[in-house]
Amino acid sequence: MFRNNYDNDSVTFSPQGRIFQVEYAQEAVKQGSVVVGIVSKTHAVLAAIKRNAEELSSYQKKIIPIDSHYGVALAGLASDARVLSNFMKQQSLASRLTYDRPIHLAEITARIADRAQTNTQHYGKRPYGVGLLIAGVDSKGPHLFEFQPSGVTQEMLACGIGARSQMARTYLERHLEEFDGSSREELIKHALRALKESLSQDKELTVDNSCVSIAGIDEDFKLFDGQDMAEWLDATFDNKDGGNEGGQEGEAMETDEL
Amino acid sequence: MNHLPQAWGRPRDDVYGAYDQSHFQMGGPNQHTQSPIVTGTSVVAAKFKDGIVIAADNLASYGSLARFTDVKRLRKFNDQVVVGFGGDVSDMQYLDRLLNSLDIRENYGSDGTPLNAKNLHTYLSKVMYKRRSDFNPLWNHLLIAGLDGEDKPFLASADLLGTTFSAPTLATGFGAHLAQPILRRSIPDEAAVPNVSREEAVLLVKEAMKVLFYRDARSMDKYSIAVVTKDGVELKQDEKLESQSWAFAEGIRGYGTQVN
Amino acid sequence: MTSIGTGYDLQNSVFSPDGRNFQVEYAVKAVENGGTAVGIRCKDGVVLALEKLITSKLLKPEANKRIATVDRNIGVVSSGLLPDGRHFVSRARDEAADWRRLWKGPIPTATLANRMGSYVQAYTLYSSVRPFGITAIVGGWDSEADVPVDGEVGSGPKVGSGGKKEGAHGGPYLYMIEPSGLYWGYYGAATGKGRQIAKSELEKLNLSEGNLSLEEGVKEAARIIYVAHDDNKDKEFELEMTWISSVDGPTKGRHEEVPKEIREEAEKLAKKALEGDDDEDDEEKMEE
Repeated sequence: MFRNNYDNDSVTFSPQGRIFQVEYAQEAVKQGSVVVGIVSKTHAVLAAIKRNAEELSSYQKKIIPIDSHYGVALAGLASDARVLSNFMKQQSLASRLTYDRPIHLAEITARIADRAQTNTQHYGKRPYGVGLLIAGVDSKGPHLFEFQPSGVTQEMLACGIGARSQMARTYLERHLEEFDGSSREELIKHALRALKESLSQDKELTVDNSCVSIAGIDEDFKLFDGQDMAEWLDATFDNKDGGNEGGQEGEAMETDEL
Repeated sequence: MNHLPQAWGRPRDDVYGAYDQSHFQMGGPNQHTQSPIVTGTSVVAAKFKDGIVIAADNLASYGSLARFTDVKRLRKFNDQVVVGFGGDVSDMQYLDRLLNSLDIRENYGSDGTPLNAKNLHTYLSKVMYKRRSDFNPLWNHLLIAGLDGEDKPFLASADLLGTTFSAPTLATGFGAHLAQPILRRSIPDEAAVPNVSREEAVLLVKEAMKVLFYRDARSMDKYSIAVVTKDGVELKQDEKLESQSWAFAEGIRGYGTQVN
Repeated sequence: MTSIGTGYDLQNSVFSPDGRNFQVEYAVKAVENGGTAVGIRCKDGVVLALEKLITSKLLKPEANKRIATVDRNIGVVSSGLLPDGRHFVSRARDEAADWRRLWKGPIPTATLANRMGSYVQAYTLYSSVRPFGITAIVGGWDSEADVPVDGEVGSGPKVGSGGKKEGAHGGPYLYMIEPSGLYWGYYGAATGKGRQIAKSELEKLNLSEGNLSLEEGVKEAARIIYVAHDDNKDKEFELEMTWISSVDGPTKGRHEEVPKEIREEAEKLAKKALEGDDDEDDEEKMEE
């Protein structure tokens, strides 16, 4: 039933010093639809592909606003993300209540990381099956953090996680130099283009299957969803149909530089 | 009917037998944290155009006995906040340790933004209110002086009930009655603050400290004074009241050698 | 490892017939793949250094600090599983805070090392947990000056009975704690992938003589990380360095990041020293 004797639980090291259960949990992240995050000098943006289980069902929630200054995007088990995001909301409110201060993104990221670590060291627990991108602005400026089920967290300039996210990351690496000086609009466009890269050829970004969020210095975290996406998709892909169907071919978009 | 209020409205003893009075006795040990023992008196503070002056004398009294004469009641928290403590000294020391542990936590990272006066006032007022709600108050009246998030002067108080209050000039304890009117004469409202210079504010606070020494029997002439501006905290802890004049005492019954 | 697969290595806290706890040994494996970490105990302070491998171009440079502060005067650097390192630090901070609550003063570095050793050891005792996948280096400076008791608000009477005892002790301390909970005090400690090279470099410094100054220590630590990284040249890395000096030194007894200018200067010297070595090697080869 198991691949080997060392992958039954998260309290067993393999002879190479690996913890397979944690590594398997990382695989759950790769099953989730892709999410992308980028920061500039002034803004932090998240973008996500949303899936629907069937034609008649709604599309999943991929970006969760936490506090007025930040939010998270998730890839993997959405219910695990809900547990973590509820915790983040509580902690964020506690910071505002006791210190009248928006919580630092590094601080909240560390707190969920510590929780995740506990799940990898105690029998009877399982690692979280979700990866998060935490993006927003605090007193130290815009930030983007990546959170993994292992409890590893890293501050990134840009990041993509989830299914086929390698394509998105390749795009991000190629345009890394441009992000820092990007305007709010440019940053969102970059995020959407990175997202588009990871889509299979026959798929398009639409107002239903995508969403973006932005937070900036002196600008609260805002989520664009549904019809609010239309203008961003139009602006990014030169797509006159409002991004509902058809649209331009992927080839043409490649060359569509700013 | 008798004159004891606790008997009013209760069943008559002659009809129903003696009433069980044990309900009225609370029992249990005395909690000495429920009243102050060694205390510090007033703290006074005033805003000026680009900062705050705050002062408190160096006396800790045991009842009416001047028990400790070098107690520092102003605590620098960081480069932009000073907290002044009136009231129980051991509770002040507890709060001092609490702030110490907060400071250690705040400095684990090298790149954090320090807590400003507004943050610290919010925190301390929550501490005070929690303790009063537990019926175990910290017997202090605090002034938090410093700069807020926008580097503007900030001054606010939190007391043993968890009450908070903010004004361009503040004084705790005896000073709330004696010093506050003097301070208000020069700085009546927030609009007056931009016209007050640092020198004027320091002079004003020193004058208030002097009046308090004249009239507050739990005060002394050695005091600490701090000025908080964008450039940091300047804290002096061994100042002496200057140019005292006790001539006014002659005209007051109860002062000096007069008997009636 | 001969006993792999015999079943004694599947559960923590279980001894094999020859008296080994395999899960602890496997935890050590997790450490051996981590970036190299080094600690040097100098005469007037302690340096901690870490080779931080860059796993992605998208990482924010100079962010993601991994050497942590405990209380104000102690630093912890670890090699192995990152989240386990954070767990270790979080516990160390709790220990230091508990100590303060009880004794109203900073925890001595030796005591902290002892307590953390016990804590790590406890994770080898039960099948319900796994051992820590880290080796941690704990460095600190115990104040040589008279530290006031926490909450002290006055100096007490200047005359009369009482008074102060001369000869307060303090100084630099360095410990390394392994996944088994075993710990030793060190003059120079190294762990992680490049530990063997780093150790041999540390031995050359004759640290036990106690002559190395903190300033030199910073340069040596940087150089050792660069030397230890040399085998792993294809991967890029960032050098992270912190230090703790005596009370009258540059950090005033606090654990702080080594200032950028000083670190970069040390890195420049380290690179130069490496190039020099390479030249020598080449020359030797030529001679051969």
